[in-house]
Amino acid sequence: MTNAITIKNLTYSYPESGDLFKDFSMKVEEGEWLAIVGHNGSGKSTLAKLILGLLDFKEGDIHVFGTKLTEKTLTEVRSQIGMVFQNPDNQFVGATVADDVAFGLENRQMPSIEMPARIEQALKQVGMEDFADREPHTLSGGQKQRVALASVLALQPKVIILDEATAMLDPEGKQAVMSTLRELKEKHGSGLTLIMVTHDMEEAQEADRVAVIDDGELLYDEEPNALFQRGAELKKLGLAQPFAVEMSQALGVPAEETKNNIVELVNWLSQSKV
Amino acid sequence: MNNLVIGQFVPGDGFLYKIDPRTKIMVTIGYVFFLVFAQNFATYLWSAAFLALALILTKQGLGLYWRGLKPILWLILFTVILQLAFSGGTPILFSFGPIKVTQPGLINAIYVVVRFVLIVLMSTILTITTPPTSIASAIESLLKPLKAVKVPVAELALMLSIALRFVPLLMGETDKIMKAQKSRGMSMSTGSLMKRAKAVVPLLVPLFVGALQRAFDLANAMEVRGFESAEGRTRYRELAYSRDDLWVLVASFVFLIVFIILLFV
Repeated sequence: MTNAITIKNLTYSYPESGDLFKDFSMKVEEGEWLAIVGHNGSGKSTLAKLILGLLDFKEGDIHVFGTKLTEKTLTEVRSQIGMVFQNPDNQFVGATVADDVAFGLENRQMPSIEMPARIEQALKQVGMEDFADREPHTLSGGQKQRVALASVLALQPKVIILDEATAMLDPEGKQAVMSTLRELKEKHGSGLTLIMVTHDMEEAQEADRVAVIDDGELLYDEEPNALFQRGAELKKLGLAQPFAVEMSQALGVPAEETKNNIVELVNWLSQSKV
Repeated sequence: MNNLVIGQFVPGDGFLYKIDPRTKIMVTIGYVFFLVFAQNFATYLWSAAFLALALILTKQGLGLYWRGLKPILWLILFTVILQLAFSGGTPILFSFGPIKVTQPGLINAIYVVVRFVLIVLMSTILTITTPPTSIASAIESLLKPLKAVKVPVAELALMLSIALRFVPLLMGETDKIMKAQKSRGMSMSTGSLMKRAKAVVPLLVPLFVGALQRAFDLANAMEVRGFESAEGRTRYRELAYSRDDLWVLVASFVFLIVFIILLFV
């Protein structure tokens, strides 16, 4: 397995409020689904912006598929990473859905005749192909985020970073975005690396690996199931266990049988003799 | 705020929807320009006929245009009163004290109303049949010659289209902030003029802060999607003239020639 992103000895401080990351190192493998979690102000979103070169850091290296992130390689690095931001409205550049997906293609100077096919393909991947001519203010938050995802997919990146992409959505919108992500991951397999920055543990359990960040430090880096066992430690960090896990522990379900999802838990309970 | 028709695009399938936005902008500007020279009954009638044709070609109901005119009725009324009161000339039809309503004044007033209505309706036709993005790209295309004198036409057009894209968003936000302030007991519609003007400040501050935040976010989102300069990008929607544009141009020239003839009859 090659590394999609390697962060080595990164040091970054906010202009006003001092050091955030100090000697921070982390790896993201190609094709994995990584969740970066932490409470507000833990530095998780800043990390995402650093990887894309939206913020300058003092020391350390960030490598993306072996290319070191510098001012010169910025364009090359960004062509491999797509990012979906938190606010659905503030990343919608085009006047219609199709125009918005086209925006990135126009920047890459793709010939006009090739665009419609690419746009349709991208919108199909997120199930928004029937909305191509709609204006953003006629869409729901979840739909806008799926368009944002399509805009990123149209550029065919190897890595997609979602920075709290579901934080402003209603439960229905959240579900739609998450199931779109699942489908994408299934379809692209190891060709697509997903990095999901979130504080929602229910979402984090979809990932292959969860990295917990607090005050710019990497505290835990393990599989979701292992992490979720740490109820007390997570609570101290201002994070909650997924409901089903908390319930399992409260009911005294043995650790190796802990269920992540309510349905599984209910099934298990109805069959067990606890 | 949402019933404002001027400047709003209304989807439809009339003939004018298929016309290149550049053609529509040029014809509208030309029409408004020449209307200023109209000075007799025949020229106004002929201009009204041209407008009527355009109205029919939009395939939109007249109610829509009536709603477009409504907000400026007061402005029209005001101009009419000014014309009636201060035109001077003879013969005097009737008078209230020092104010004399004369026959030329009355005729002028009628002409002003007609001119006003024609200009507003023509511009409304343009915006009703043309999406804002098309207007932005048409302006970019029409201003291309200015690139020779270093005017950043591509940047300006992109700024314009993004500004247009954020209009509904900021209107919604204004509404939200207004409701939030009202729920805290603020009143925008009572008190002296000074008091009302002051009430706008707590509305503008959060609106500005919000708009700046949006601008920063949008800049990040654009950069991540590979935006470097407005120059040298390809275009998803390319403008192209068609045979229909030729028809519009022919009709406009016929209108102009007859208009000029009528001026001197």
